[in-house]
Amino acid sequence: MRFILLLLIILVITPLAECFLPWWMIAVVPFLAAVAMNLRGGASFLAGFVGIGAFWFTAALMKDIPNAHLLSQRMAHLFKLGDYGIFLYVVAFIGALIGGLASWAGALIRVRKH
Amino acid sequence: MRQIAGFLLMVVTFGLAWLLDHPINNVPGVGTLPPIGRVIDPVNGCWANAEDAKKDFNGSLAFPALQQKAEAWFDTRMVPHIHAENSHDLYFLEGYIHATFRLWQMDMETRAAAGRISEVAGAKALAYDRLQRRKGMLYAAENSLKAMEGDPRTKVMMDAYTEGINYYISKLKYRDYPLEYKLMGFCPEPWTNIKSALMLKYMADDLTGSVNDIPLTYLREVLSPEIFQLLYPETIKGSKQVIPAGTVFEKPSLTRPAPPVDSVFPHFTKKDFKDVKEDGIGSNNWAISGSRTQSGAPILCDDPHLGLHMPSLWFEAQLQTPGMNVYGVSLPGAPGVIIGFNDSLSWGFTNNYRDVKDYYLIKRVPGSSDKYLMDGEEKTFTRRLEHIIVKGEKEFIDTISYSVHGPVMYDEHYAADGGLDKPLAMCWMAHKGTNELLAVYLMNRARNYNEFVDGIINFQCPAQNMIYADKAGNIAIWGQGQFVNKWKGQGGFIMDGSKKSAMWGDLIPPKENPHALNPAQGYLASANECVTDSTYPYWYNGTFIELRAWRINQLLAAMPKATVQDMFAMQNDTYSILAANALPVMLKHLPTPADATEKGYVDKLRTWDYKLGADGVEGSVFQVWWYYMYNKMWAGFNNVPALLYPQAERSMQLLQAADSGKVNIKQLANLDELMQASFRQTMDSLKKAPNGMAWYQVKNTTLTHLAKLPAFSFPNLKVGGWGNAINAMKSNHGPSWRMVVQMSNEIEAYGVYPGGQSGNPGSKYYATFIDNWVTGNYYKLLFLPNSSQQNNKEIKYSWKITN
Repeated sequence: MRFILLLLIILVITPLAECFLPWWMIAVVPFLAAVAMNLRGGASFLAGFVGIGAFWFTAALMKDIPNAHLLSQRMAHLFKLGDYGIFLYVVAFIGALIGGLASWAGALIRVRKH
Repeated sequence: MRQIAGFLLMVVTFGLAWLLDHPINNVPGVGTLPPIGRVIDPVNGCWANAEDAKKDFNGSLAFPALQQKAEAWFDTRMVPHIHAENSHDLYFLEGYIHATFRLWQMDMETRAAAGRISEVAGAKALAYDRLQRRKGMLYAAENSLKAMEGDPRTKVMMDAYTEGINYYISKLKYRDYPLEYKLMGFCPEPWTNIKSALMLKYMADDLTGSVNDIPLTYLREVLSPEIFQLLYPETIKGSKQVIPAGTVFEKPSLTRPAPPVDSVFPHFTKKDFKDVKEDGIGSNNWAISGSRTQSGAPILCDDPHLGLHMPSLWFEAQLQTPGMNVYGVSLPGAPGVIIGFNDSLSWGFTNNYRDVKDYYLIKRVPGSSDKYLMDGEEKTFTRRLEHIIVKGEKEFIDTISYSVHGPVMYDEHYAADGGLDKPLAMCWMAHKGTNELLAVYLMNRARNYNEFVDGIINFQCPAQNMIYADKAGNIAIWGQGQFVNKWKGQGGFIMDGSKKSAMWGDLIPPKENPHALNPAQGYLASANECVTDSTYPYWYNGTFIELRAWRINQLLAAMPKATVQDMFAMQNDTYSILAANALPVMLKHLPTPADATEKGYVDKLRTWDYKLGADGVEGSVFQVWWYYMYNKMWAGFNNVPALLYPQAERSMQLLQAADSGKVNIKQLANLDELMQASFRQTMDSLKKAPNGMAWYQVKNTTLTHLAKLPAFSFPNLKVGGWGNAINAMKSNHGPSWRMVVQMSNEIEAYGVYPGGQSGNPGSKYYATFIDNWVTGNYYKLLFLPNSSQQNNKEIKYSWKITN
């Protein structure tokens, strides 16, 4: 249950934070949320990974589809990734990884044990 | 334990985020990377630049700075048609719209002009920046800015344009920045009027920047006068001048000065010169009188050949105020329309190439670093400190000495190409405080020939061959620029800067510049060839090229009833005059081919129509063969540097003369051997052609993104032509704006440029026009009547703008 709650907090708060604050809110929000939620390391990592991964993937897709992949294809070429699909996955993965690690660190750093 | 692990993990995670928030510069094994995290962020990063392909550009806008209300309409190609009630509002909106579509490009081009690239790109651009500073680009722009702000008309134009750009910039958040800012990691800075002046100097440098005075000085040392004349004649045989023969020139108000009695050309010793052969930048324009067109109305054509970049140098726009209705291409970074037409007349430019840049050897006072001699008298340099900010490193300061001639560009701290490190001052028309913007202002508003001429005489540098046609039926051409009344030979070589007799004298009154109005032949054309014949009363020299001019005159003379379709075909003509004249001689002296493959090529060449078509292999074989033959022909000839091998057209004439035994120089003594050896190299080289044998694959015409990012560039375009054909499509230079305007009662205008209206690689308008430009198709230009109400089905979006 707390896993779902942590995931939801990350999914809701991070996009809001990113509207006003820099992109690295994807590390700050999962970290603080994980400190607050006090899950085990593994579950916390998963919530951060899935939460930020889903957020970034969806947000990118929402830009990419109306754009007919024009930009993503050029960015994929720029980073030598071959195809816009790969670029999308890489973007989501980098976001997910930072979100997951931050959330994990938050879980571990918490003083009290349940 | 757990907390220590947690702490470490936190450090790692935030460390990773920190790394991804910063660019990586030249790290071994990684190279240079933008701040990845910021760039890939779906909310604020590159994805914010992914423009919705169905984006609705309609809007009601409120710009408090406007004096009255205004409108803008965007047609299906995203060309803005702006209607304002006064000049201020018009140029404010032009600035705002330029910035909306092309902000990063404007920023980069003006930085490039000023020598400020290192600020954003780091030390790798320092050498380039230093060159710009030593040339005095900023000094030149400052001088022109004074003239531009000194005239109330251009003052309003510049101020309003700057205001419009800054209003746009002031509304930007990081997420709205053009993509390239995010990739390069810098921010837009406020626009200033000097930047618009720099933009015009950028063009002046591009078009009058390269002169051969320094290497020619070297050749003068190593060649006999007879050979020098043979290889580098002042006027090439058969030259077809811009101004038709028989045109009566204005009576000169100045007498041509006599050359100084003592030599003002200092001697140098042999130096090595850089081994580069760079063809000049060329363009075509022509106008046909109504007597020679099917419709009976004059037709004007222009296709300035410039560097091919993405985003394109040009931006199409229509500008309207009461009393002015003009359409054409504008330069993002400067107000007004540069090439185009209004409801009375049309005009176009080609580069004029008269020499307006000379070098003087400075004689310093012995033992003094800040004094130099002028006719025995001591003079003091003015010093100018150029501060070059280098990203990530400490500032570089260059001290440049200014003499009466101009900046001492080269000295012991900064050698010229080829290592000449004596103090050489540059005297350049672009350094003068000229107001080209006033010419633009007046041309855009001109209603007839006289008003047009009154406008263009303010266009002083870069000098242009300005073609003209109007609804009243007139055609005209002006070799317009500010020129100096030179004595014969002045400025051909480095001159002695310590003698007053070598200095530039009086300026020629612009009204006496070479021009022709409604000539008997019924057409006028220019393609960077020599401007006049010897009946023109003033002396000048320049770097003129002839091949395209010969072809254009040949076609126009044989065209009694021209149509706009004929003009499209002409601008896309790939017939090579060079091949037509040189290839028969080359084939005649080619001994039997070695094998069946070679014989196949030779047979193809024998039946070739001399057209450098995109798909043909004949063009590839000829051009590569010509290249090797030409280089073999001149290699080692009296140590002439490759930069200065005789021109292609001169080499072609010498080849023909040698074939008929009329010229006898060592290099052309054994044509059989020359052809055999160069053909061998051609075959070997073509076998290794990386992309294929078709001509377009061999020459590889590419539209290169300004930051040289291949992902945003368009390589290997399927286009024919070359510098020696009217369709002068080279690897990185070519027709930057093809325009055909028929001056009938209702103006019929067509145009296309390589690129698209948007500079954003994430916009569907980024590369819109490339396909049609490649295939040689044109868009019919939407020329709206001058009104604040429009009802045209081609209008896709409109802006209602209030103050």
